[in-house]
Amino acid sequence: MRCSILFTLLLTLLPTSLANTKAPHTSNWAVLVSTSRFWFNYRHLANVLSLYRTVKRLGIPDSQILLLLPDDMACNPRNAFPGTVYNNADRALDLYGDNIEVDYRGYDVTVENFIRLLTDRWPDDVPRSKRLGSDEGSNVLVYMTGHGGNEFLKFQDSEEIGSWDLAHAFAQMWAKKRYRELLFMIDTCQANTMFERFYSPNIIATGSSGIDESSYSHHADTDVGVAVIDRWTYYVLEFLETQIKDQQSKLTLGDLFNSYDEEKVRSRPGLRWDLFDGGEAAGRSRLVMDFFGNVQGVEVNDANTFNETEWIQGMEWLAQMFKDKELDQRIGTQDSSQVTLTKQETLAMAHPTNSQTHKIAKIMKGQQWEQKAVGAIALFGVAALWVGSSIFTRT
Amino acid sequence: MLPTLFCFLVLSLLTSSCYALSDYSEQLVLQPLVPASVLASFNFRSNASQSSYNQQHFQYFPRSLGQILQHAHAKELHLRFSSGRWDAESWGNRPWNGTKEGGTGVEIWTWIDASSEEEALMQWNTLNNALAGLFCASMNFIDSTRTSRPLSTFEPLGNHNSGSNLHLFHGALTREVVCTENLTPFLKLLPCKGKVGIASLLDGHKLFDATWQTMSIDVQPVCPADQSGCVMEIEQTIDMVLDIDRSKRPRGDPIPRPLPDDRLICDQNRQYPDENSCYPLDLSAAQDLTLKDLFGRSIQGSCLSPADSTYPVCVAASNSLEVYTTNALAEYKATSGYLRCLALPEKDEFELLIPKQDHARFLPVSTPPIYVERSITGRGQERGGIRVLLRNPSPTHNVSFVYFEALPWFMKPYMHTLKTSIPNTIDEMYYRPGLDRKRGSQLELAITVPANQILELSYDFEKAILRYTEYPPDANRGRDVAPAVIRIVNATTNTSEHVGVAAYLRTTPLMLPLPTPDFSMPYNVIILTSTVIALAFGTIYNMLIRQFVGADEATSEGLKGKIIVALVSVRNKIRDSLSPVATTGPEREKKNI
Repeated sequence: MRCSILFTLLLTLLPTSLANTKAPHTSNWAVLVSTSRFWFNYRHLANVLSLYRTVKRLGIPDSQILLLLPDDMACNPRNAFPGTVYNNADRALDLYGDNIEVDYRGYDVTVENFIRLLTDRWPDDVPRSKRLGSDEGSNVLVYMTGHGGNEFLKFQDSEEIGSWDLAHAFAQMWAKKRYRELLFMIDTCQANTMFERFYSPNIIATGSSGIDESSYSHHADTDVGVAVIDRWTYYVLEFLETQIKDQQSKLTLGDLFNSYDEEKVRSRPGLRWDLFDGGEAAGRSRLVMDFFGNVQGVEVNDANTFNETEWIQGMEWLAQMFKDKELDQRIGTQDSSQVTLTKQETLAMAHPTNSQTHKIAKIMKGQQWEQKAVGAIALFGVAALWVGSSIFTRT
Repeated sequence: MLPTLFCFLVLSLLTSSCYALSDYSEQLVLQPLVPASVLASFNFRSNASQSSYNQQHFQYFPRSLGQILQHAHAKELHLRFSSGRWDAESWGNRPWNGTKEGGTGVEIWTWIDASSEEEALMQWNTLNNALAGLFCASMNFIDSTRTSRPLSTFEPLGNHNSGSNLHLFHGALTREVVCTENLTPFLKLLPCKGKVGIASLLDGHKLFDATWQTMSIDVQPVCPADQSGCVMEIEQTIDMVLDIDRSKRPRGDPIPRPLPDDRLICDQNRQYPDENSCYPLDLSAAQDLTLKDLFGRSIQGSCLSPADSTYPVCVAASNSLEVYTTNALAEYKATSGYLRCLALPEKDEFELLIPKQDHARFLPVSTPPIYVERSITGRGQERGGIRVLLRNPSPTHNVSFVYFEALPWFMKPYMHTLKTSIPNTIDEMYYRPGLDRKRGSQLELAITVPANQILELSYDFEKAILRYTEYPPDANRGRDVAPAVIRIVNATTNTSEHVGVAAYLRTTPLMLPLPTPDFSMPYNVIILTSTVIALAFGTIYNMLIRQFVGADEATSEGLKGKIIVALVSVRNKIRDSLSPVATTGPEREKKNI
């Protein structure tokens, strides 16, 4: 409790002096989402796993990648290549590999969880590995793929996320200082409609196809039996894998987007710059590595801007708060009881039964006969009462 | 004697090496099985003294897991990831007597130290969430409906303080897929991270291609007899049955294809009608095998320092079985004649070859204490039944066991229909009825099956109708029912070896088809209703807000209005000139105001 207060205070005190857009970003996060279940959607998981391998190759550690896979393809009984997912019929690269961490899988991939993940609205118990721990210095890459339509994207074929939902989630992220710059990529039918509603700043968005256009798969592997990758993702990956050789690459997002070839993709990939600080010119000059690579920056406060008196005042306030808190606890005020109440509430949410209902009854031998006898006696009693009363009323 | 031979041998070897030498030990036992398979049992044990564990000073004990257990006050943890089916008819008794095995999917049971029931539940919830993050499994789905509290099926294995107030929780996720993302964190718990030693053999591509596999983690406090120097022990095991033919297929092309004609070897012992026909020899049965064939790689050096080095690789078969090795430092043969163990070189690769040979040299197939089959009977969407067949293979001895079953809440058993084919076989019965959406039913039966008999246990159940939002995305697949757990209490076989050794069995999971609605129906209804409302409302609204005037009465505002009026007058003139008879009444035109 104390720790968390201290942390929030330090977080609010320290970096506020820095201008948001001028400082370089200090960390990179990637949220890679496939939204399709079932074997015939193999390609959507292959899309996401390809991106996972790329960002991992370019330096983002597993702890900063959130991978959402709604179905299991690698260990699927239909997969002739156990433990393996391929994105190409040449089967040169095993995307699943030996070292993979899937943060959300199966039924865990829902619209609710995805929005909670972006906005970090979780109960306390949710572990660190399932949270997006980005802050105002983080560049976030969000990649989504699945089946969609005009301003919606289906999740697991049972629910859908709308473009407004996504726009509001990003706006909330911005309000909560959860990103510095955000690159949104989406590969689905009518993908460009998904980012039309965005309104929070510093987002670059790109999608695979315009309104009333389908996004197509690239090719199928006859031994896997289904299509293995989508066209737009295939050509994005082709650029990332052949042009971005190492982490020192100076290629820009402009180079990446210029590599889109409508002939090859067979749809019109879309771009959106207007939310970005500096517009298209600034967006195009951003390095690909700003989003696909990793930095481990440290923010150092400038000595000139550091306000010592403010800091001392903050610390004094903190000390006073702890003193008050201690006093509260000693005399047992409402504050502590509120804490226990919320704990019980969380418990009640997760486990609606109470301790009494957990007790297990031992069924005794012969009990059935006793019960039957009791039941029979009761029945006879009632019958006798009825017969008796009818006799009495007649007389 | 044979049923427990394997387990007994390994246990004795492990205990002798573990406590005497170091805080870490590892062991691999390979046991050839008859229909061209191999059982590979990996075992890794680490210790941390209780005091260092409490101070979070970890050396071999994995810090990530230790901190989670301390945070959730879990004193003993058992975690299982399993897939596939153990073929008891062909392979006999289970490795470790089933104690290291779990039901299909994920199974977890733990003892939590807490002052009250509520607190224990909360810690259980915390523990599941934390483990879900650590092992990349959806254990956060173990809520009250999937939690059970068996009374006599599980007992704590560790030496716990008499003062602690322990609460047992058991949870199972049958649908959970076990795949590489679960193996990755499992290997990261090991001191050598799966890079060297026998753990270097563990590859997801082979492990999850196995006919049957189970990964287990057991954490418990272990104290010597004099209660001094207690240690926190973590034991990780992986058992898998690999099909030799399957393992030998090349990784890039594992699909079996017909051989080209020139590579066919025909069976010369058969009669052929003409020269073009051929009965190919079945080369697949009982081929020779190497570690590289089985696991895709060889052992990369030794995880233990040479001083601690024991005999980590064992072959459980008759000592007359031919085994060839590279770089083995030393060999140890058990006096029983059915186990030999090899010491590994410190840095070099280690390879082992077992050539094709007679099955008589394998470990004889043992008889399990009981055979179980469990299935769903009945038809229709409303009701069903469960039937369990329990066969005692022993010709002379009764077998007593506890049968434990946790059913999902949407499966409501009728306990009055519980029947046994042999009367008076149920010694005790514990039952907790389920509550809709809150908890499932839980049934524990203490049963004795007489020698050489088959007991049929059956009861009926009703399927609940779920709410629209309670169906999973793949609702038409049906829902899974967790396997039943059977704890053998006393299986008195010919020898008395079984007594005192815990033994467990698990049945296969069940698939329960539930009535599913037409999920598009609400949308159809919504669309149709909306259309009808829109049509009706739109027409009425349209008529209400419009004013109908004659074209000549309309005000001619703007250029457009003037043009329209001019056009109308021109048209009227033309019409008048064409038809000399005057039209009835003035022309009327609709126009929006």
